[in-house]
Amino acid sequence: MLDTPIVHFDNVVKKFGSFTAVEKADFQIARGEFLAIMGSSGCGKTTTLRMLAGLEDPTEGNILLDGKKINGKPTWERDTPMVWQSLALFPFLTVQENVEFSLKMRKVPKGERRERARKWLDRLGILEFADRNISQLSGGQRQRVALARSLVTEPKILLLDEPLSALDAHLKVRMQSVLSGLQKDLGITFVYVTHSMSEAFSMADRVVIMSRGKIEQIGTPEEIYREPRNRFVAGFLGSSNVFDGRLKSSGNEVWQIETEHSSFNLKAPSEVQKTDGSPVAFAVSSENMSLATIGTPWAGNSIEATVVGGEFAGASATVFLETDQGQELKVQKGHDELKTVDIRAGQKLLVHWLPEHCHVLPGE
Amino acid sequence: MTGNRNPLINGLLKLHITLCLIFIFTPIAGSFVFSLNSDRFPSLPLGSFSTEWYRLIWEDPLVWAGFFNTLLVGACVAAIATLLGFGGAYTDFRYKFFGKPVYLALALLPPTIPVVIMGLAMLAFLSRVSLSGNVISVIIAHGVMCSPFAMAIIRLRLSQMDPDLEAAAWNLGGNEWVTMRHVIIPFTKPAIYAALFITMAVSFDEFAVAWFVSGLNETLPVKVLGFLQGQVSPRINAIGSLAFVSSISFIVIAQILMRNPESKPS
Amino acid sequence: MNTRPSLFSLTFSLPLLIWQLAFFLFPLAFLVALSFWTVRNFQMQPDFDTVNWVKIYSRSVFWDAYFRTLLLASASAVLISLTAFPASYAISFKLGENAKRWMIFVLIIPFFTSYLVRVYSLQVFLSDAGILNAFLGYLGLGPYSMLNNSFGTLTGYATLCLPLVILLQVFSLNFVNRDLVEAAHNMRCGRLRTVLEVIIPSAKAGLVIAGLFAFILSFGDFVSPLYLGGGNPPTLSIMITDITKSGQQWPRAAVVALTMIATLLTVAFAAIKFAYREAGK
Repeated sequence: MLDTPIVHFDNVVKKFGSFTAVEKADFQIARGEFLAIMGSSGCGKTTTLRMLAGLEDPTEGNILLDGKKINGKPTWERDTPMVWQSLALFPFLTVQENVEFSLKMRKVPKGERRERARKWLDRLGILEFADRNISQLSGGQRQRVALARSLVTEPKILLLDEPLSALDAHLKVRMQSVLSGLQKDLGITFVYVTHSMSEAFSMADRVVIMSRGKIEQIGTPEEIYREPRNRFVAGFLGSSNVFDGRLKSSGNEVWQIETEHSSFNLKAPSEVQKTDGSPVAFAVSSENMSLATIGTPWAGNSIEATVVGGEFAGASATVFLETDQGQELKVQKGHDELKTVDIRAGQKLLVHWLPEHCHVLPGE
Repeated sequence: MTGNRNPLINGLLKLHITLCLIFIFTPIAGSFVFSLNSDRFPSLPLGSFSTEWYRLIWEDPLVWAGFFNTLLVGACVAAIATLLGFGGAYTDFRYKFFGKPVYLALALLPPTIPVVIMGLAMLAFLSRVSLSGNVISVIIAHGVMCSPFAMAIIRLRLSQMDPDLEAAAWNLGGNEWVTMRHVIIPFTKPAIYAALFITMAVSFDEFAVAWFVSGLNETLPVKVLGFLQGQVSPRINAIGSLAFVSSISFIVIAQILMRNPESKPS
Repeated sequence: MNTRPSLFSLTFSLPLLIWQLAFFLFPLAFLVALSFWTVRNFQMQPDFDTVNWVKIYSRSVFWDAYFRTLLLASASAVLISLTAFPASYAISFKLGENAKRWMIFVLIIPFFTSYLVRVYSLQVFLSDAGILNAFLGYLGLGPYSMLNNSFGTLTGYATLCLPLVILLQVFSLNFVNRDLVEAAHNMRCGRLRTVLEVIIPSAKAGLVIAGLFAFILSFGDFVSPLYLGGGNPPTLSIMITDITKSGQQWPRAAVVALTMIATLLTVAFAAIKFAYREAGK
């Protein structure tokens, strides 16, 4: 039993009228895993979560919880508690009554209800607020009430729909560690929907990236960051430059790619097989690109581009450039490195990077 | 707010507001004053202070009968209209369905039809189905006229509710019926009370429909109309003042119930 | 979730639907049938005869009453809207938040007083030897005849409609984007021109709806024309009560009532269409 995944999305499709919200979602969630589903708004991540919770019915395909098909089962007959973005705490109940709610629904006797609720309030450090009204609590305290309310039945899985999006940066980080700590201690599965890469990458064991209802990539944060599968993921992570071209020659060590700019060398990828002449797309992280004044020597690949502008944040700066062919590039560097070049708008510079910093996108 | 303030124009505008308020409230205040005045046809200078008219209605058994009928009708109408209005408001809040605009039009239109026509239509119809001429017919007619008010008040409250609240309760293990009892009704409770009292106040005032529909059992407004048609008596002022005080009491109670619904003594 | 209505959903949606169908729509539909019935020996009989329509529509008394009612209701809508607007504008734009809330509260109070009692009180004020004329007499003016004429009727309509029209106008003016007003001033649009060319067009829908309510209420009212206007010559609503009181001519009253409903629907439809017409093509 333990080796069956706790959740299995078996080719699940969700349509609202003619609009496809989720397209052939097919993946599994392991027992005790912290899975983040990430994407921009409208990508289908929340719909996926709501289908698991039983708040939406899949149009096609099956959802299996603990190996059992749960399609069509209403949410009140599932054990899939969810933490809402709005938290959805009951304003007419006290903190204690909010936490007791699901026990009351399960007809747990009053004394036991009270005891179990207090245990969870204590565990989340909000026992002193038990008799308060929700409106008297701070954002972080409400967050904890919502968690206690969902965990009080000791479920095997907890669903979270952007629960931290309303908090300020400091509190967000603190709640992230509360959440990951809780998940490790309890050993239960968390499915966490977010649009924030930092939230997903800092907490999750695995991340699902979705776009327009489609799953673009599933993997550990490191895999996704190092080896984005396609152009969308590379772009979504926000710091890559993608080049399109054709494979001119594929040696064992080096591939040569012909693009509209010039031909580039890159380190032959071990996991991708392509025949000569076939189209290839590769990404170069903006941190791995360098800038130089035209005429200075460089190593590896290079391209000439005109500076469009710059964005200066903290210790580093991002310079935006455009090639003669109209491709946009961005280069992220520390201020010290940028001192040596003139980055005023309109300036023509040389952008260069090493072959081993090119990552071939296998999904393109 | 805007840079160019002209004190003269602002003064004139405020004077205009005052004049409008005087126009609106003079008849209301007048009715109170006349009810405590000895003259049958008050004019300037006013006659002496008198509680004669209150004594007369106090001693009139017909007024008492009318008053109790009005109360009975009001209480039944409040309960029926609030039940119907709650259902309509929840339907509008929760569901999307084919023909919803028609449903809403049917639910909300009655107050825009002139009361004379509603009275005529209902009396004609209810007499056909042998329902005319008794208190039940008045309750039916008032139910039609008052349920839109109840629906509007409760719908307004529902729109203040976090739309996830209901789903959260389902998710925590309550089915739709249980969630209705433990979440929707507690949340809308202040509006439900407000709807009860406000529909009762509206029922107090809907005399014309009652006049047409009711036969023997007169409600208070019908009694008032009788005074107007027959011998004009300043007793109407006394009755009107009493009815106003009761209506306003209902409203004040409703207001108190609507205020700070979130804060709860702990 | 599923398209088939559940027992739960029907429990809440059906009672209101059934009630309004049975006691609102059916009676109105029955009125249509009734208008084709005939009356013999003071007894109504189910029939399909256009005699009532022909009788009513061929009488000049009816058409006089029809156009008088239409004129009075239109005059009421226009005059009350014009009177209300400066007050609504001042409430919405010149008063602070607290004063605004109080104003709205104060304007709701009249809805909970009996309209009939207010009209009776107005009678005392407006009659020939009444309070207003006595007051004017001190000033060496009058007496003026203010009762049993159109002035009386319109005064009564205003008592009924003015609070509602001000409230509806205030609500629509509250929605006017304050930046638009400042932008207009910034482009050298004067105070009055800003009101006419920015504020009124922005709040048009609400202002038209407010006027429409005044029209609907005045058109159907029978208390003011009867007790302040004297009832003679009659308006349509007085005609209905007269016809029903004198004998069993209910089918004819139904004809008048249906004509009123048709007129109200036409005016309401036209007003709403005008209110929500967008600028440009």
